[in-house]
Amino acid sequence: MLLVVGPSGSGKSTLARAIAGLVPRDVPGEWSGSLQVGTLETATAAPAEVAARVGILFQDPGSQLVMDRAADDVAFGLENRAWPLAAMRARVPDALGAAGLGGFERRRGARLSGGEQQRLALAGVEAPWPAVLVLDEPTANLDPAGATALFERLALIKAERRTTVVLVEHRADLAWPMADLLLALDATGTPIDLGVPADVLARSGDRLAREGIWLPGDVSSRPPARPEIRVPPVASAGSTIGAGPDLVELHGVRFEYVPGRPVVRDIALGIGPGERVALVGPNGGGKSTLLRLIAGLVRPRLGSVHLNGLDPARLRAPRLAELVGYVFQDPELGFLADTVAGEISLGLDLASNHRATDLLERLGLSLERFGGRSPYRLSGGEQRRLSVATALARRPRLLVLDEPTFGQDRRGWEAMAAIVDELVGEGTAVIAATHDARFAATVARRRIEMADGWVVADDGPHRGSAASQRVTDA
Amino acid sequence: MLSPIDLTAAQERSLLGRTSPLVKLALALAWLVGLAFTLKAGPPVLLTGVAIAAGLVLGRVPPARLVRGLAPLALVAASIALANLLFSASNTNPSSIEFARIGPLRLTREAAEVAAALGARVLAIVSVGAVFAQTTDPTSLVDALVQQGHVSARFAYGALAAYQAVPRLGEDLATLRHARRIRGLGASWHPRLVIGLLIRAIRHADQLALAMDARAFGSGPRTTFRPIAWRWADLLVCLGGLAALGIAMSL
Repeated sequence: MLLVVGPSGSGKSTLARAIAGLVPRDVPGEWSGSLQVGTLETATAAPAEVAARVGILFQDPGSQLVMDRAADDVAFGLENRAWPLAAMRARVPDALGAAGLGGFERRRGARLSGGEQQRLALAGVEAPWPAVLVLDEPTANLDPAGATALFERLALIKAERRTTVVLVEHRADLAWPMADLLLALDATGTPIDLGVPADVLARSGDRLAREGIWLPGDVSSRPPARPEIRVPPVASAGSTIGAGPDLVELHGVRFEYVPGRPVVRDIALGIGPGERVALVGPNGGGKSTLLRLIAGLVRPRLGSVHLNGLDPARLRAPRLAELVGYVFQDPELGFLADTVAGEISLGLDLASNHRATDLLERLGLSLERFGGRSPYRLSGGEQRRLSVATALARRPRLLVLDEPTFGQDRRGWEAMAAIVDELVGEGTAVIAATHDARFAATVARRRIEMADGWVVADDGPHRGSAASQRVTDA
Repeated sequence: MLSPIDLTAAQERSLLGRTSPLVKLALALAWLVGLAFTLKAGPPVLLTGVAIAAGLVLGRVPPARLVRGLAPLALVAASIALANLLFSASNTNPSSIEFARIGPLRLTREAAEVAAALGARVLAIVSVGAVFAQTTDPTSLVDALVQQGHVSARFAYGALAAYQAVPRLGEDLATLRHARRIRGLGASWHPRLVIGLLIRAIRHADQLALAMDARAFGSGPRTTFRPIAWRWADLLVCLGGLAALGIAMSL
């Protein structure tokens, strides 16, 4: 197993796709050098020949499922390789079972959880027995349970020793112990080191850290000013940040997309000015919907939401924009202008504009270099940082972050953490839905856990009313 | 409405459920063409009845589902009929026969006949569509198109994969509107939304094409995991459907 690591934009994905023969064939660009799988030159070989040897799993679970139902999707790759029917009928249930999806044959891929979708996609990639399995950040979109399940499957694949695995992955703690070989790339895509992970760590560990690459056991290079807060001292938290009327108040809030199937159930919650809240829990637990309720983007079916004493869903858009900054899970959906410069200055006065430009600089997106670029042409990490800058430019009272650190290399992560710290100093409350345990533990002061639409745990500045109300409402 | 319908086991095992989607599609087209050649209300009413009865009896579609699917479209058919009744040109023609009068509005028998025929035609079309959707799994439709209709696999399975992405585009649109509102712009309709949605659609399509290519799609001859053969049921349904059309047209 080869693990490929590198900062955002170092070409890890491009390398992965080149091994699978998709670059340069499907992606325009300049290509030189030689890349062989076995004796096959991937750049010039027939697509079928490469595909017969190499399988690739992409980052986004939903967008790589081709067929409606699970069994059909696993069979898709076999059909394309002209497997006989009997062989397919034997192999499909096996591949599903190996992925932990036994009995899922008739289930619709679109209705599975992200973790299940990713394992289904893996089953489809594995089914034809590829000699090389390429995994391009396979856990980036998954919650911790989903990521662990995927890595358990990878451990089995590795133990079988039947397949060469090329893994591109940010989660160093999970990935490094499994790797036989490690390839580290720098920001320009040039190799820094290649070798056994322990040797690379000893030889080039410092260099890797400087490049913004996550290392195993890496909490962060920031000074450990923030104790890991599980149960914060209630008195101090309550007396300093939680004091005064709540910025966000929810009473008996329920929301459902489909009548009778609530995704947010009878939630009572108060968040004070300047609080830093991590909202954790499995995918589909209602985190994103709760964020949208708080930001007045959707209306609750029952109950009330108050933001700064007002109903955010009834606020006029310009007023809402002054109160709330919002970074969407997929930042690309939040872009409104054609250039980075246009995006950041949208609707801002001169002073805010200066501040926004500074923010961009701090987040590594200087206007000189990036100002004229299209937001859609930035890398995933760059898009997220731009989105954060636009959300912060108006100094909102509340900053809402949906998965703020997903796909971030270490440098991006640290910049994000630093920005959050600085804002809290200015009295802005932060609520972040996150799967990133590191972010939840070190950046947030309060941890709210959601599952199946309920708040199942809340260790934050204690508001007796919130907890008891939930019981009486239920 | 855009996400696939979950058919019950009874629906899938029913005669219409097992009939080749290609036969159902061909019949539906034949009925549409037939309906285009008649201006009377009788044939579409009869075909509506046949379609619904076939859906309930031969397709085992739960009546509640059929009603839910049809109700909004039946309303559309009714409003088309009403509009044609009220605003037909024949209402102002002095030679047409008046049967009612609402204030200054004269309602004539000629207008009523045309309105009834138009409404019934729309109703027949939506009934056929609803019964088709309620007895046909999207995957089996595509399989039939490829295996029995010899439609290009690249096109057919590409379309099926794109169809899976439609609900995601709906979610994207909601987020795009939310993003406008939270940045201080109105959440109402704006051309920029179309651009955002287009970019998303292209992204989805790109990723999907890459994923399909990586799984060796279109690389050579392919086999099929779900072979379909013609059955007697196909012939039976085909003849029955044509007979119904014949009877309806002779009304």
